[in-house]
Order: sequence, then C-alpha cells, then structure tokens
Amino acid sequence: MDKYPPKEVLKDLIEGKLDWRRVKQIMSSPKDADRFEKYLALMQERVRWPEKILLPLGEHLYIVAKGKQRIVKCDCGCEFGDWRENWKLKALVYVRNTRQKLAEIYPGPRSPDPAWCEIREFYCPGCGTQLEVENVPPGYPVTFDFLPDIDGFYAQWLGKPLSEQVSAEDKSVKVTSQWARELSRQPTPKVARNARTSSAARAKRAG
Amino acid sequence: MTSESSPQPMIVTCDAGGTMTDILLVDAAGRFSVGKASTTPQDESAGFWESLEDAFSQWGVTLDGGANGALKPLKVSIYTGTTMLNTLLQRRGKKVGLIITKGFEDSFVVERGMQAVAGYSYADRLHTVTHAHNAPLVPRKLVKGATERIDLFGKAVIPLYEHEVRDATKELVEAGVEAIAILFLFSYINPAHEQAAARIARAAMKKMGREVPVFISSEVSPTIRELARLNSVVIQAYAAEPVREQLFRIEKRLHDAGVQYPLQTMLAYGGLASVRYPRLYESVVSGPVGGLLGARFLGESVGINNLITADMGGTSFDVGLVTEGKIPLVREPEFARLMFNLPMVTINSVGAGAGTYIRLDPMTKRIMLGPESAGADPGPVCYDRGNEIPTVVDCDLILGVVNPDYYLGGKVKLNKEKALARFREEIAQPLGLDVYEAAQGVLELINAVMRDQIRSLVLAKGYSTVDYTLMAFGGAGPMHMAGFTEGLTLKGLMTVPYAAAFSAFGCATVDYSHRYQRSTHMFVAPAAEAPAKLAVAKDLNRAWEDLETRALAEMMAEGFARDAVHLQQVAFIRYGGQLDDVEVFSPVRRIESSEQLDALIARFEDLYARIYVSGARFPEAGFQILEVAVVATVSKVKPLIERRPLSPPEPPSRALKGMRQVYHHGRRHQASIFEMGELEPGNVIEGVAVIEAPNTTLFVPERKRIRFDEWGLIWME
Repeated sequence: MDKYPPKEVLKDLIEGKLDWRRVKQIMSSPKDADRFEKYLALMQERVRWPEKILLPLGEHLYIVAKGKQRIVKCDCGCEFGDWRENWKLKALVYVRNTRQKLAEIYPGPRSPDPAWCEIREFYCPGCGTQLEVENVPPGYPVTFDFLPDIDGFYAQWLGKPLSEQVSAEDKSVKVTSQWARELSRQPTPKVARNARTSSAARAKRAG
Repeated sequence: MTSESSPQPMIVTCDAGGTMTDILLVDAAGRFSVGKASTTPQDESAGFWESLEDAFSQWGVTLDGGANGALKPLKVSIYTGTTMLNTLLQRRGKKVGLIITKGFEDSFVVERGMQAVAGYSYADRLHTVTHAHNAPLVPRKLVKGATERIDLFGKAVIPLYEHEVRDATKELVEAGVEAIAILFLFSYINPAHEQAAARIARAAMKKMGREVPVFISSEVSPTIRELARLNSVVIQAYAAEPVREQLFRIEKRLHDAGVQYPLQTMLAYGGLASVRYPRLYESVVSGPVGGLLGARFLGESVGINNLITADMGGTSFDVGLVTEGKIPLVREPEFARLMFNLPMVTINSVGAGAGTYIRLDPMTKRIMLGPESAGADPGPVCYDRGNEIPTVVDCDLILGVVNPDYYLGGKVKLNKEKALARFREEIAQPLGLDVYEAAQGVLELINAVMRDQIRSLVLAKGYSTVDYTLMAFGGAGPMHMAGFTEGLTLKGLMTVPYAAAFSAFGCATVDYSHRYQRSTHMFVAPAAEAPAKLAVAKDLNRAWEDLETRALAEMMAEGFARDAVHLQQVAFIRYGGQLDDVEVFSPVRRIESSEQLDALIARFEDLYARIYVSGARFPEAGFQILEVAVVATVSKVKPLIERRPLSPPEPPSRALKGMRQVYHHGRRHQASIFEMGELEPGNVIEGVAVIEAPNTTLFVPERKRIRFDEWGLIWME
C-alpha cells in the first residue's frame, strides 16, 4: 500500500471516479504535508487558462491570480471579478419562488411554502453550469458563502506567504451600492427596476 | 496410515480467515496438529484441502487425495470461513427481490443512523464527512410494497392485498431475481400475512414456470425491530446461500475421501450446525467466536470459572469474557456495517494486531496506530513485498523478539534490515528517537490500547480483573501477552502451545446446537396475583412449545433421534422500563404454577444482582419478558484435555536453540531461545527468553517466568 495517495489517485478523487471505500480511506488517513500543492497542481492541469490557481472555491470555481488581481474564475474561463465581491452577484440566477417551480424539485407534500422560502440557483454565464444553490426566506440578501483569508492561509498554514498582502474584507456592498446608484438615477424606479436589474431578477422573470 | 501408533484423526476444524486457512486436527488421544495454507476465496475447498494436507504432514501422513482412507476415522469436521463476510463487504451476493409492507419500501435507503457509522473508528465517528449510508442490499427497483398491516398486538388491521403480492412476485421474477425475501411489520408477533404472502408468491411463480426460493422474516428471525430483521432475512437470501455452495463443495471432497459425517459450521452464538441448516446466515460471524468457546471449554476442563480471552491476530485484538462459566450474548450485533437480529457471543474488537500500520501524523508528529493493517498481502515491511509503512510486527522484529529465519516455521524469510531502515526513516528520525527506543515506544502504545480494551470490558461490567485468569492466543497473543497485561492485576495469565490455531480448536469443543428465539410482549406486575402470573406462564409455555416444535423438527430432519436432543427453555427478562435484559435459563420445562414463575424471576434477580449489584435490583417496576428462546443441543465428541505427568523444571537441553539479543525496557538483554515443541510439562523458563514455534512466538520479559503445567497450559508468573 502506498503511504499517501499518488497523483493519479488524487486526480480520480477530484474527478469523482474513486469508489466510496477508497475515498473514505483517504479521508481517514493523515494527509501528506504537500497535499495542497499536489491538489493545486492537478487542478491547474485540468483548466485551460494560464492564471495561477490560489485556492479552489467550489466544484467549478477558483480564486486565481490575474496580474495583481485575485479574481474568481470558472473552469470554463468565465471571470467573476474580485474574490472579495460575492461572485453570485455576477452569476445568472433562477429563483424558484412559486409552488409550481418548487414542486419541480420537491413534488407533492414535500413542496415547501413559497411564502417562507425560495430556492435560488446560480449558473455560470459562460458555460451554464450550476455553481451553487441557496435556500433562503424571500427577500433575504444573497448569501456570501466563503470569503477566505488567502494571505493568512498561505502565510500561517502553508508557511509560504504570497508576495502581496491583501486584506480579506467583504467588498460585495460596492457592487450592490453601485446598482443602487444606477437605479436611483432612473426616472421611474419601478419600471427601471425591471429594465436594469441584476441578472437575478432577469432570470427570475424569464423563468 | 494403518499402523497402530499412527494418530487416528477424530476431529478436524478449519478456520478460513481473510488470509490464512488454519486447520486443527485432533486425534483420539488428544494430540493436535496444526496446518496452514493461504485462503483461496474463489473455491475455498482448495485452501481447505491444502491446509489439511499440511496438518497431516505434521503427523508424517500423506493424504494422497484422501483415497488412502486416512480421513475415514474422522467423526467431526467443522468449517468456518469468510465467504459470507466478503460477499457482504463487497456487495456481490445474489440478486434478491423484496416484498415489504407498503410504505416501507425505502427501509434500506433510510436505514438507521447507526449504520452510517457502524464499524468506524472513534475519529471517523466524530468527523461527519466520513459518515455514509450503505448502498441498499436490494436496489429500490427490486423492492415492492404490499398493502397489509398487523398491529403490535398481532391483530390484522388491514388484510393482506393478495393481488399486490401476486403482481410484485411477477414483476420481480421477470426482473430476474434469484430469491425473494418477504418482510411485514410485526410479523414476529403474528406471521400469518408473511406466510400467506409466501404461499401466494410460490403459487404465482409456479404458474409462471420459474421458481426461486422465498424467505420470510418470521422464519429467519422473528424478533422486534424491522431493520435488523430485514437485514437478517435478506442476508439469508443474499449471502448465506452462496456460502452453502462453498460448504457443499468442501463436504463433497470429504465424503469422496470416505468421511461419513456431515460437514458442520459454527454459528455466531457458539452452536454448531450442519451445512444444511436453514438459517445459515447465523454463521455470519464465527471465526472469533471459537476462541472464546475454546477458552470456556479449557476452563471447564481444568477448573477455571472466570476467564478473559485476548485474541491478538494480524488485524484485530478481540477480547471476551467468561464469567462463572457463562458467555454473555449481544442480540443486535453489527457486522459489515449492518445490524442483525442475531444472538452473538460478546466480543469486543479493536483494530490492534501484529499487522497494524504505524504512522506519524505529519502535522503533530503524534504516533498513530491503524486502524487498518497490512494483512498477509503485502504484509508488513519485513515481508519485503511492497509495503513501505511499518507495522507492529516490524517493531517486534527490530527488537529481536521475532526470529527473521523462523517466521511461520521459516516459510517466510523476513527482511530485518528493510524493516529497520523504513522504521528509522518513517518514525524514529522524525521523532528524534533512537530506533530501538522508538520501536519499544510503539509496542508500549499498542499494548496500552489492548490493555484499555481489556480493562474497559471488565470494569464496565462491574467486575474486577483480580477474579479473572487471562488467556492470550492468536498468532501474536503469546508475543504481546506480557506487554498488554503489564499493570493489570490478574488471577493468572496463560496461553497454550497451539495459540495460533486456538480459534479452530475452540470450534472443536462446541456441541451441536441451535437457538430459536422470538420476540414477545409479557409483563409481570410487581404485585401480580396468581391468576395474572398463570396467564403469563401460559403465554410463555405456548411460545416455548412453538419454538420446541420447530427445534425438534429441524434437529430430526438433520438426523438426530428425539431423545438425543436436549432442550433448554430461555427467557430474556428485564425490570419494567429498563433497556437491558438478562438471559435466564428456566429451571423447568414448563411453568405450571405461580411459584414456578416466581422461581424463574428469582433466578433473574439473582443473576441481575451478580451482573450489577444487589442494590440495583428494582422489582417494584415489575418484570418484562420481551424475548424467549429455546436452545436445542446434541452433544458430540470433543478433544480430550488430559493431565500429563510433570517433568522436572529444567527444560531438556535439546529445547535450547541458542541466545539472541533482545531490546526490552530500555536495554539489551541476552535472551535464551527455546523451541516450543521440545518443552515438557513441568518445565520452567525464566525471562528474558523467547519460545519459538512455527506459527507463534512467546516472549518472556525479565522478572517473569513461564511454567508448563500438567494440562498443557503455559502460565506466565
């Protein structure tokens, strides 16, 4: 038996090709000290763009270094901007907020009450892959799932600080206040709201 | 093999493990011979036969395919294997269809939370990311619901919708199932619907012209809790029948060689059954059971009532207790990550064996033991077959306890240099320790794990180790017995020369017996009057009678005379509202008066007070009987444990093979090396010494000595 899973096994792990027993075995065993680097290298091999991956952010999303910026990128290449701005704000969204739409997922008696909850599905505008789903009460702000302290992680956990230090502070409000400003410039807010909203509302209407 | 002095084989027992198939041959004079061969999972009869030939060769007899009649004198042949375990673990059993009470079709998917972590280490239980449901034994599309309902009192509140059973059968058979299992709720109280469904299913198949076996849960395991019952009935169809095919193949080879008696196998609760036994799933766990039963038998033979058994093999360390000659049962064991309704002798197991991996946590540098182990392939580092992770036996080798040239009698050459190099690199250097000191430290750790296991089993029951004699066995038991008992106050500590095959020996010591149990709802109120007690007695008698009828029918079908079968009536009694019950053997066959019921309850209270303390008794809560059983036993020939004359303490000079350096407790010792087979009853050997046998090594540390007694036991004092 290998002391640690070799590269091919890790590749299968990422691609979901390992059987559960092997996955469980890997989970229950200690990691080799450079597992993160190995993992990152494999991820880098799998994508077709050149930017260096700093941290995987989900099944299809990565935080990458692009020039001096750190941005969120989908494996299709679509970019979502600064990692400190919630990437969901730039995604396509389909909101299930009626009985009929909820019943497509949870049919019959399992169907939740749309007055109490809605399901928001986020899709990549580049490839159409479903990236995330959130289930929240209607009107709840879009959740920001994960804002990692990249520098803290690289410096204190990996012991390999990145050349530039950037504080991990939530900048999503910049995007939303920009939207608010744009909206307030419109003469009739209600119509404008429909015409120029976030992709969220667009998809909601279309759906 | 016709000369008078040749051993006449009387009993052969075989314990086919995951890697090795051990055979123990016993002759009429009580002489043993141990055979070993690799297990052959495709056709276990091949490994069985090879191991048998090996055992005979120790007696200087060639088996010659059995044609020479060497096997003719055999009276008992017992086989326990791992086919069922492997079939379950690898989920490669028969294609089974299930008909279940409508609304419960997702039972396998929902299962029980416990099954999501069953068999996990403590660390994995804590880390929920590792929790996972089992893949259903029967895929959802082969599960069909049938409308019916029997309530908890056994009353049919919804009749069985027969057409649904008919349709389901048709669909299942058309889908190509190889067996049909049927489970309805509360069938353990009233099996009428299950029985009717089985009849309908059989009739429907007859009409279709394609018949497969039908199994109903009330026949396989009529006990409460439907998931464990479901597992039990499905396993019978899914995994037990393939096992039967293996067993038949072995039996055929024996019969072809002139053996006249049927092949038997071991059941989880310590009984033997013919390979034609209908509920063969009860043999799902049988290997480790043998050791405990063997220890009880030895104890009975030499007069030891309280025993702790410690079985250290390659992958696990199994601890069991014999208290006052009795072995407690668990009734819902988990196995292969499934829970079963099956009485099983209580054995606590921890992943600490000779092959257990030793690793350092790369972050904390903490030594981590197991939980997995190297098995026989690739084996420990010293096997030099590709494993690079040090194991416990590599430490034993490094310290000089294991002889690299006499492992498995020299069949496997061990590479000590490689073990040393890998251990130094992986463990000693990162810890900044001397390699011997580190190896010693690892052994102390694993010994501590095993010691805790022993301690917790004994203390959790409220017993004290002072009252117990510990018996160590398994291939690695004698090597570690001094270590894992260090600091325990025991009445005595011993092993036997055939420790490596002791589980197989244990199977030979057991009677032919089956258990029949079913769940009941009986309550004796604290101040019950005689009529109320007689009503309970009537229910109890009826339940026993039903079980006995089945028991006798099965035993007679297996060829035993009615008179040879001994029946023991059992009730599982608990105080009202408590969760644990006690197995109580009834003093009478039938309860005919309220006084006799009182006597049964008094027996329960007495046992309860002995298991816990007398102050814990709680008769004010009344008494519940939620399960009754009948044990049907037929006695059989057993190995003879004979007292032998004692020789002087000085071992014969031919037994001393030489000296070897052994590292122990921080320093090097010159240890005397003895050959186990040359030692005689009465011999005493002072530590530091190593006693070597082809399949085990006994280590005697300093300030300890061992004594061979007249019964063939080896005491460490």
